[in-house]
Amino acid sequence: MLAARGGIVVALLVKHGNRLTRFVPTPMLVSMKQTAAKDRSVDLSIDLAGIPMTNPIMTASGTSGYGPEYGELVDLTRLGAFVTKAISPEVRRGNPPERVVETTGGMLNAIGLANIGLDRFIEEKIPYLREVGIPVIVNVIGHSVEDYQTVCRRLDPIDCVAGLEINVSCPNVADGLEFGTDPQRLRQLIAALRPEVNQAKLIVKLSPNITDVTQTAAAAIEAGADALSMINTLCGMAINVDTLKPMLANRTGGLSGPAIKPVALYMVHRVYTQVARQAGIPIIGMGGISNWRDAVEFFLAGATAVAVGTALFVDPRTPIHICEGLTEYLRQRGLTSVRELVGQLK
Amino acid sequence: MLRFRKFFCACRGMRSASERVNITNDRRDAVIQTAGIVANQQLCREHYRLTLSLDMFPGAIPGQFVHLSSEPDSPSGYRTWDSSRRAPHDAHTAKRSAPMLRRAFSIAGLRDVSEGINLDVIYRVVGAATGWMKSLSVTDRLSLLGPLGNGFPIHNRKQVAWLVAGGVGLPPMLWLAEALRNASVRAVAFCGAQTSDLLALTLEPSVRPADDARCATLCCHEFAQNDAPVVISTDDGSLGFRGHIGAAMAVYHKANPVPQDDLVVYTCGPEPLMRFVAEYCVERDIECYACMERAMACGTGLCQSCVVPVRDHTDPDGWRYRLCCTEGPVFNAAEIIWEPIGSG
Repeated sequence: MLAARGGIVVALLVKHGNRLTRFVPTPMLVSMKQTAAKDRSVDLSIDLAGIPMTNPIMTASGTSGYGPEYGELVDLTRLGAFVTKAISPEVRRGNPPERVVETTGGMLNAIGLANIGLDRFIEEKIPYLREVGIPVIVNVIGHSVEDYQTVCRRLDPIDCVAGLEINVSCPNVADGLEFGTDPQRLRQLIAALRPEVNQAKLIVKLSPNITDVTQTAAAAIEAGADALSMINTLCGMAINVDTLKPMLANRTGGLSGPAIKPVALYMVHRVYTQVARQAGIPIIGMGGISNWRDAVEFFLAGATAVAVGTALFVDPRTPIHICEGLTEYLRQRGLTSVRELVGQLK
Repeated sequence: MLRFRKFFCACRGMRSASERVNITNDRRDAVIQTAGIVANQQLCREHYRLTLSLDMFPGAIPGQFVHLSSEPDSPSGYRTWDSSRRAPHDAHTAKRSAPMLRRAFSIAGLRDVSEGINLDVIYRVVGAATGWMKSLSVTDRLSLLGPLGNGFPIHNRKQVAWLVAGGVGLPPMLWLAEALRNASVRAVAFCGAQTSDLLALTLEPSVRPADDARCATLCCHEFAQNDAPVVISTDDGSLGFRGHIGAAMAVYHKANPVPQDDLVVYTCGPEPLMRFVAEYCVERDIECYACMERAMACGTGLCQSCVVPVRDHTDPDGWRYRLCCTEGPVFNAAEIIWEPIGSG
């Protein structure tokens, strides 16, 4: 018969430790810490607009739940920062299924910003995140300027909330798209939020669904953004030729995954060279990052930190693997800090 | 494609703990590991059984599922999600492109062998991902995440269990039949297919039913080894009952009445079939569990895509979405809302 569940897991740690996902129980943690000690010559730590991070790898909003779900799979303290699902003032059920479909090199999603709402988030999830002890960045969504203000006002004073990432670019909600695609409206929104955000850093997540992303980037910076994160998903759709219907119940969705990485790199590089570098505003790069080489590309293009999203669905350990690969890459190139990579594209 | 996977899972909190046995929902047991391939055998025109070899597998029960993807350095092909742990230049020797995301399959069988553990999944070739799976051979390796989800509740107090499967809903029922035999519950399997050559079962040639024996139980190898007779239906009438398997179940029920308190029904397959079975059982106050299928990206509760609307009297609107992957895929059929739900 199969061994009892608890017993076999313990045995696995000894025999097959590197195969565990979350499971990171104590023996594995010990070995990881020992590994980290050997890497003392390479420094992965960064300062993201004043947020100290032990490494530059974070999760992308909407791909790792509120924290506890992902914390069951990996050791969250291995992350540079944790970024939550989008939080709105009210509970949102989200779109009906089907909500995802795989496309070539990527996937479309139309979750519809489903979330438990601000009250429950503060009550149920913040205590867990505070206990983890890493910087937490909360993604914020709203129907109106007032909605955004409400969420920011309530979350800003919470000690473990290091950043508020303003989601103006989700393509699934008409209101969000308008803020993110019109530089003037974006400027007004961020200016209205600036006074509400004092303890935390104000991060603006830019939409790629726009002709010139440097315009919205400049608008966000002018209005007082502390950092930019880019890119959100690209609008897309997939059609079932047998039923003649869209593959997603929402008809359209946001494209993510490796398919969008070239677009994301291009946009990060443009914003870095044309707007952010002069302004001294850091960029959190994301879009299809699934291994350390993808991450290095984003650093070279100008990102200070990177976020991993869709890749978590395939292997939740991806951020940890990226840290390991990045360390080795830096060592082999004789670099002592990941900060030396930022914007070094020749 | 994602939508062709079968997930199943059991229903947390639907019955009091004392009424349930053999339920697990401890994802702490899920592991990612490399799986070898023992066999990839064609069962009928479009169905295949993939037998995987594992060094170990945490305790699992019927209804739980595994999430499969290619190993980047396996001959099975290049996958975009190469781990940085692997060699800098990963294999691009694709025989056929593996999908990007994992694919979920219910566990069709699990057994100890001398070299470790063998795990069966059964799939129907319907698209690019299952086409890739068909191309796998014993030289390939897969990445396996699991077991995931919640399995079927098995009640010792029930004397009779009906396993109603349509199409690719069959795989979890094969393993469930084994678990029911071990729990001394008498099982009858109802298996439907579009046509006889899409039925992934091995029938004894001598017992092919006469046309007039519409709901006679048959003997097929896969269920006979667990002492379960089988009722077959095909949409075109090429074998067994003509029509869907839910209708065959209803006819069988009329001829073979069972006290409702003694009976439990498990169903898996196309949603219209599961809805028919669920509503049939609810009308008659028969306990029924449905294994739901949803497109899912992660299988671990991260992406929140695989929602199933269920009745919930604690919610102001009387319902809420539950995740097929971590709160399912088996649900109490009486709680599932089958009608389409609008955006919210």
